[in-house]
Amino acid sequence: MTTMQYIFLISGTQVGIGILSLPAQLADIANTDGWIAIVIGWVISMIASTIIIKTMAKHPQDTIFNLSRRYFGRIFGTLIHLAFVAYTSLAAITVVFTSIHITQVWILPNTPNYLIMMLFMLPGFLITRNGVRVLGRYAEVVFYLTLWMPVLIAVPLQKGTILYMLPILKEGWAPIFQAVKTTVLSFLGFELAFVFYPFLKEKKHGIKAMVIANSISAFTFLLITITCFIFFSPDETPSLIWPTLSLLKTIEFSFIERFEVIFLSFYLFVMSTTGIPYIFTTVFGISQLIGKKDHTIVLLFTVCIFIFTSFLYTPPFSHIQTMGSWWERYGLWGAYFFPIGLFIYTSIARWFQGGKNK
Amino acid sequence: MNGTQQLLTHSLDTNEQTLRDYFTKTPDLVYCHLLIGEPKKRALLVYLNTLVDKNSINNNIIDPLLFETKQIHTIADIQLPIGSKSYTTKWEHVIQHVFQGETALFLDGDNQVLLLDTQGWPQRAIAEPQIESSLKGSHQGFIETCEKNIALIRRYLPHQQLKIEETTVGRRGHTPVSLLYLEDVAHPEVLQELKDRIEQVDVDTIVNTGELMQYIEDNPFSPFPQFLLTERPDAAVSNLLQGRIVIVIDRSPSVMIGPMTFITFFQTVDDYSTRWMIASFLRLLRLLAFFMAIFLPSAYIAALSFHYEIIPLNLLLTIGESRERVPLPPLLEAVLMELAIEMLREAGLRLPAPIGQTVGIVGGVVIGQAAVEAGIVSNIMVVIVSLTAIASFIIPNPDMSESIRLLRFPMMIAASLFGLVGMVIGFMLIIGHLISLESLGTPAGSPFAPARLRDWKDTILRFPLWMMRTRPLSARPTQLTRQKKFRK
Repeated sequence: MTTMQYIFLISGTQVGIGILSLPAQLADIANTDGWIAIVIGWVISMIASTIIIKTMAKHPQDTIFNLSRRYFGRIFGTLIHLAFVAYTSLAAITVVFTSIHITQVWILPNTPNYLIMMLFMLPGFLITRNGVRVLGRYAEVVFYLTLWMPVLIAVPLQKGTILYMLPILKEGWAPIFQAVKTTVLSFLGFELAFVFYPFLKEKKHGIKAMVIANSISAFTFLLITITCFIFFSPDETPSLIWPTLSLLKTIEFSFIERFEVIFLSFYLFVMSTTGIPYIFTTVFGISQLIGKKDHTIVLLFTVCIFIFTSFLYTPPFSHIQTMGSWWERYGLWGAYFFPIGLFIYTSIARWFQGGKNK
Repeated sequence: MNGTQQLLTHSLDTNEQTLRDYFTKTPDLVYCHLLIGEPKKRALLVYLNTLVDKNSINNNIIDPLLFETKQIHTIADIQLPIGSKSYTTKWEHVIQHVFQGETALFLDGDNQVLLLDTQGWPQRAIAEPQIESSLKGSHQGFIETCEKNIALIRRYLPHQQLKIEETTVGRRGHTPVSLLYLEDVAHPEVLQELKDRIEQVDVDTIVNTGELMQYIEDNPFSPFPQFLLTERPDAAVSNLLQGRIVIVIDRSPSVMIGPMTFITFFQTVDDYSTRWMIASFLRLLRLLAFFMAIFLPSAYIAALSFHYEIIPLNLLLTIGESRERVPLPPLLEAVLMELAIEMLREAGLRLPAPIGQTVGIVGGVVIGQAAVEAGIVSNIMVVIVSLTAIASFIIPNPDMSESIRLLRFPMMIAASLFGLVGMVIGFMLIIGHLISLESLGTPAGSPFAPARLRDWKDTILRFPLWMMRTRPLSARPTQLTRQKKFRK
């Protein structure tokens, strides 16, 4: 995987479904100062991803699955392995069901969700099957294909009232720090470096790549959040469930109406770059656990479970929100506290081992 | 005869008998007995008169032999005004060469045979390429003879690095296959991969280039071609210079080129002989045509069946008016018309030219006018189908154009089931497939995925020629510099 592919893979995972509701959550907590929380969240996520890379760089050929076994032995290593797989599968489930929900709400209200699930699983299967190399290429192509989207979202910027942003720090720092918890979680996705870093061709660019990936995501978040704040009044933004999509409703052309339908259909590309890496990590983790080199069978099995579940269970919006909050709670541990702990642990362990060797 | 492994004997009569036993019911095999030299010695000339140039045999072999006055001891004493000749003692070689139109000269008392190159079979003159016509490119196209085709390529590249490797494919046909490549540019691994694959082909014969292509391509389940077939020598040469390998197959008027990338099917020779702005415009046009040919009918279906709210009211009214009397749902309407167009195309292609025009007129009138007036399809549908057809004809490569026309149908079904979402998922599948597709082990999605920004100069836009200083990386060339920087 080239450095570019790695960057786009990570930032593609970060920018996905969270961004559709982020402005509303921020406005709810921190009013129009929410953008400061994004900047703080950006810095924190960069620190966390640097720690991940620093940890992984100690054993450049190891994924988190090999690493956990190397340091924690068979039993505890497998437990961590399982926990990570559980985390990524939770993320994958959340992303898949949320995108199906959004598709149903906005584009295909009359199509049953198992049909949409089957449809979504086709590219999911095709792209995941071919492994990291194709995953990287896919993220790269999608990045170039979706470059026009932020530009379009910024169109309402000129119609907005910039005064809404003032005064800065209108409620002091406290709500901003509260909002940081939300923004930090919207950067989730960089923790997949635990799995993808060993496939990066030029390891020396590891940290730089993470910084760039986080910055791309931060820029996108900032652009959209600020556009929302400026365009809608500070009181209106929190009342919208998907403010980013409502933003699009205002774009009109003489030859096309309801542009958000087209936009959202195309947005499936962006959602796919969030969902597919998580599906891949889950499938890859399970195959490693049961000692299979080729992950196609596990993938097939996973896809069947997804489709089967969708026949029996159509999650209402409240369940999707619950799933999201689980992911976030788990993600806070998985992507921020766990790497720090792991880094400290591995450093100490290596220090001891180094001492022994001398 | 089970003795093709055997060696010849010294006796002319035994040899002749062996031949007669082997070539039974072969009326076109000529046995010409001669007495040559002083003192006279018996000799036998054997050739298939359907595959030889008779003038050459009469003037260059029989005539000098009849007037030979030297004493002939062995076959090596015979001097004939023919450049290409070889000696053998094996029956296997004799038979193989005679079948390729060579003449075998047996001499009594000698177990060696002189094989003389007298090939001359029916062949057509070099003519303008029929399928890939061009405005500014050369007007010579490949023909069915391997040697002539190689000659056409060599004329462009009189350079010692142009290497040719010959092999044969097919147990019965022994089709000669030649690989042409620039030794200092083409990647040895790619070349070896290609050679291995050709070696594995075990069939009766290869009738046409397209057959060999299907035997050796990477992914037979892909809708997209993975090798380029061309009948243009200039296209072959320009690909040779990019480090690709040209496979010339005897008896087939097109050559095969690999490894290819997706975007190379949208490039033509004319692009490079036209000024860069115009060439870039044409490239953009083709890209647009690509998307139109795949997505236009499905977009119409999606908009009408699912998302009529995205169509502005005035347009929606027009469409409604036009569809007022149409009993068919959009999908059926579109599929019906698309199939009609495909049939028209196929009919026009297979029929002789004078009748082919009639098909065009009948199709045009019936589909364009009568179907609409009869209320079977709507006006808008006719416009969309025609636009789609024209768009698919813009794609310069016929193989790619056909793939794209085929992809349109699943896309229409997806659009009728899932609307825009179905189309986007279809697009995702195409992308997902293209980025994992390989041609001879090199990624077919290059230079987009994996991205090689430097190679984008010759993709969506065609940059000025003097800016394209390096060869594209897609074929993994081992030598990158294409030209020096001589212009600022």
